[in-house]
Amino acid sequence: MARTDRPTASEQSFLTRAQQLEQRPPCQVGCPNSGDVRGWLGIIAQRRKHGLSLEQAYSAAWNQLVELNPFPATIGRICPHPCESRCTRASKDGAVAINDLERFLGDWAIAHELALPHSRDRRCVESIGVIGSGPAGLSFAYQMARRGYRVSVYEKNATPGGMLRHAIPEYRLPRSVVEAEIQRVFDLGVSLQDGVNLSEDMQDLRERHSLLFLGLGAQRPRRLDIPGDSLVGVVSGIDYLARRKQGKSTKLGASVLVIGGGNTAIDAARTARRDGAAVTLLYRRSRQEMPAAAAEVDDAIDEGVRFLFLVAPTEVLGDGKKVTGLDYQHMRLGAPDEQGRRRPTPVKGETGRLAADSIIVAISQQPDWHDDGWLKTREDGRLANDLWAGGDDTGPGIASRAVAQGRLAAQSAHAQLRGETPLGAPSVAVDVDTGKVRTDFYDERRRHARSRLPPKERLERPEDEVDRTIDSRQASEEASRCMSCGLCFDCQQCVMYCNAGGFSRLENTTTGHYFELALDVCEGCGKCVELCPCGYLTARQSRD
Amino acid sequence: MGSAHGSFQQLAAEPESAKTLRDGSRIAVVGAGPSGSMFSYFLLNMAEATSLQLNVDLFEPRRFCHRGPAGCNHCGGVISESLVQRLATEGIVLPDEVVQRGIESYTLHMDIGDVEICTPLEERRIAAVYRGNGPRDSEPMESESFDGYLQRLAVDKGANLVQRLVTDVSREGDRMRLECADGFHDEYELVVLASGINSRLTADLEERAGGFRKPAPTKAFICEFKLGREVIRETLGPSMHVFLLDIPRLEFAALIPKGEYTTLALLGDDIDEELMQRFFTSPEVKNCFPGGKIPDHVCHCYPRMNISGARPPYADRMVMIGDCGTTRLFKDGIGAAYRAAKAAARAAVFHGVAAEDFEAHYWPMCRSVQVDNRFGKLLFAVAGLIQKARFARRGVLRMTITEQRHPGKPKRMSGVLWDLFSGSARYREVFMRTLHPAYIKDLVWNLVAGNVDRSHPPAVERRHGTH
Repeated sequence: MARTDRPTASEQSFLTRAQQLEQRPPCQVGCPNSGDVRGWLGIIAQRRKHGLSLEQAYSAAWNQLVELNPFPATIGRICPHPCESRCTRASKDGAVAINDLERFLGDWAIAHELALPHSRDRRCVESIGVIGSGPAGLSFAYQMARRGYRVSVYEKNATPGGMLRHAIPEYRLPRSVVEAEIQRVFDLGVSLQDGVNLSEDMQDLRERHSLLFLGLGAQRPRRLDIPGDSLVGVVSGIDYLARRKQGKSTKLGASVLVIGGGNTAIDAARTARRDGAAVTLLYRRSRQEMPAAAAEVDDAIDEGVRFLFLVAPTEVLGDGKKVTGLDYQHMRLGAPDEQGRRRPTPVKGETGRLAADSIIVAISQQPDWHDDGWLKTREDGRLANDLWAGGDDTGPGIASRAVAQGRLAAQSAHAQLRGETPLGAPSVAVDVDTGKVRTDFYDERRRHARSRLPPKERLERPEDEVDRTIDSRQASEEASRCMSCGLCFDCQQCVMYCNAGGFSRLENTTTGHYFELALDVCEGCGKCVELCPCGYLTARQSRD
Repeated sequence: MGSAHGSFQQLAAEPESAKTLRDGSRIAVVGAGPSGSMFSYFLLNMAEATSLQLNVDLFEPRRFCHRGPAGCNHCGGVISESLVQRLATEGIVLPDEVVQRGIESYTLHMDIGDVEICTPLEERRIAAVYRGNGPRDSEPMESESFDGYLQRLAVDKGANLVQRLVTDVSREGDRMRLECADGFHDEYELVVLASGINSRLTADLEERAGGFRKPAPTKAFICEFKLGREVIRETLGPSMHVFLLDIPRLEFAALIPKGEYTTLALLGDDIDEELMQRFFTSPEVKNCFPGGKIPDHVCHCYPRMNISGARPPYADRMVMIGDCGTTRLFKDGIGAAYRAAKAAARAAVFHGVAAEDFEAHYWPMCRSVQVDNRFGKLLFAVAGLIQKARFARRGVLRMTITEQRHPGKPKRMSGVLWDLFSGSARYREVFMRTLHPAYIKDLVWNLVAGNVDRSHPPAVERRHGTH
């Protein structure tokens, strides 16, 4: 038997030295805003260890949450929550209902009139201009205002909020919720000026402020570019939703076609159903390729929206001035495009025709303030020395991404104004190896299902929210389902089973931090690493 | 005045015990190792026999199905055949999947030679088991964990397995309150501590409760080598290899073959790296491994062993069994766990759960083990002297080899060594046998002969083994 001169057992080469290593949990990896989900869930789940009442814990958790996202009640309603799809618990008994919890905390804070945190530091006195009051602009405004800056927000509409306020239907996001969360940002002393015309006032604004943030959004709907697309009765999804949200009249008629496969198309289709129309949605790819959130598509189906997949409109039919129908072409999926989605190609000779009173076109939007397309910023949102940008004007994305861009831009702008080096890599650099999380350690506990309005009632009460906020009992139970991947939650197995007594309890424990590990007494058996259910204790192999 | 009256009444009404288990009584068993699981099993069995309806919560946060130290209970995993038989009479029949390998002999290694001691009687075989599900990174085995098997027996009998880590036990009026790491807490009429010596629970109790002394531990070393079935068959065979070496503080060292792996157990007085270094560099040890080289081990731990029992191992509504109560010195911990589990269950069901009940009906068993351990200490001290004295080793080796070569001859030395190594007999009984005139006569003769005529027989005397 060939043997090398490897150290033998007697030389103790196979000791497992444990280290307490905080790692980035999958929920945070999945969140476009890098939300510290484990952190704020932990405050609630571990509250008793720190003597917090449930109310105190909710308040502390909300404060932690709004560090990164000032709109939890809003994002908790509309986010497609990629955090949950990555949750380690998903493979056991269902992902933790992070979205519901975020929404609960947001609503709880509104009900308890909690104020956003802000610094009393008087060093940051520069004047900051923010153009556009959507999620990106307001996120930037909040992050600057809380640092003490004097922030002015410019908005071309009469009311702030951008897409949150003007495009997302009432049944998903009530106006009162958006208003309450936006108001909190203005409560920090942010001023609002409406009716600003960018092309005329830009130079003036650059002179007036130390720096500017552009959160302009992308409000110009793409047109169909087929014959008849300017007939009366052809409307854009975003215009339709905005009018509807503002309470203006929207006469669609009895039969409506919606063209597109994104969330705006689904919102428009579901809103049209609430207006009493028979709705058919046409999409040129198949359901699998739809950019819209799958749950929203299911809801649309439940509410009676008809779906026609693999069809592309070819001509809008009319009686000379008004829409009467649509000709379309059947498609099949071809080779994948650069984004990996399979490109639709026409199937020769296979066409169809549908009658319609209105056609809602929701096939994406573009920036409407200049013709160069999307703004191209650096990674930190910087466009020029005194100019930052974020949100949909840099490319379409979900609201959570816009909030993240506003926040990151604020970090970078603040660093420049203070002459500091911009923040580098995130403090927790290693991602949790979810295979190391011992899911079988945790009790089997089913996810709380949120209560929802039945489809029939949704159409009868079109303004009512479909989803309801979970209650306090559900919230505290759901928070304790978090497995705390990659961070200690005080299960105490390490301290109880370490033969050498290597673990001792910290004098001042905080959420996620309970024990100290003394490696000088460690015997290297590695039991603690294998017992640690959440993967916080990891092995570092060493020869000494 | 009132109290005198009250105690008189109490005496009259309940002459046996003021604290008894009744229908619906709740019992918490902390730890589902052998003692905890067997206690639950016996308790529920006895309760059933007396038509008593008891609720048993068996707390164990670990999963014995996990490989590596996480799912393991840290011991060499040797069970004497006498215990296997005794368990069988209780209806606990160890299935083949639990037994890693039937061990048929002991091989004694000394600097002056080796000798293989075959089982003195057919029923004195021993079984090797894994306490968890095998070493770290091992291939999934078809075998089953010994502890996992017992735990399932308890659950099948009606114990409610609670997968929580108990972190505190305290008194709440006339009931016991139990707290877990996750904030769970509950109250019980009886708490049975079976949390072993490797858990911190007894240390925490000692810190808080006056008058209670936790068992005193010493450090042992256990590791696993992956040698492969073939190599094990060729080099070790179905034999447990015991080393009698002149290394201070080392009381007992053994290699135990188990399937693809072999377990090494070093027992003694605080096994440390210096001691291990001496052990691993001894030629007698190296020669047991292929090519005379010791491979890297795949899994190791420094489990603590109980060298003196808890004092007292009981209180009102509380009793300590297994390693966190009283156990046998070095050997047969599982056998001791069995006896403790049964005695404690019997006291609780048939007498009561007050401190006096355990004192009267549980403590005698503990005391007899403790007395026996004194004989054990004496025997290991004598073995230590033999380890140190070369002439004594020659005598022992010669006597054993002679006995093994002549099937008809009484196996006096072989029997003593066998029982000392396997723990299958009480230490007192073994000690008494060494006082037998015939044993002394044989030993003296062999001491003389072994040291005068050195050519005969200290040759290597093994059926298995290559070199």
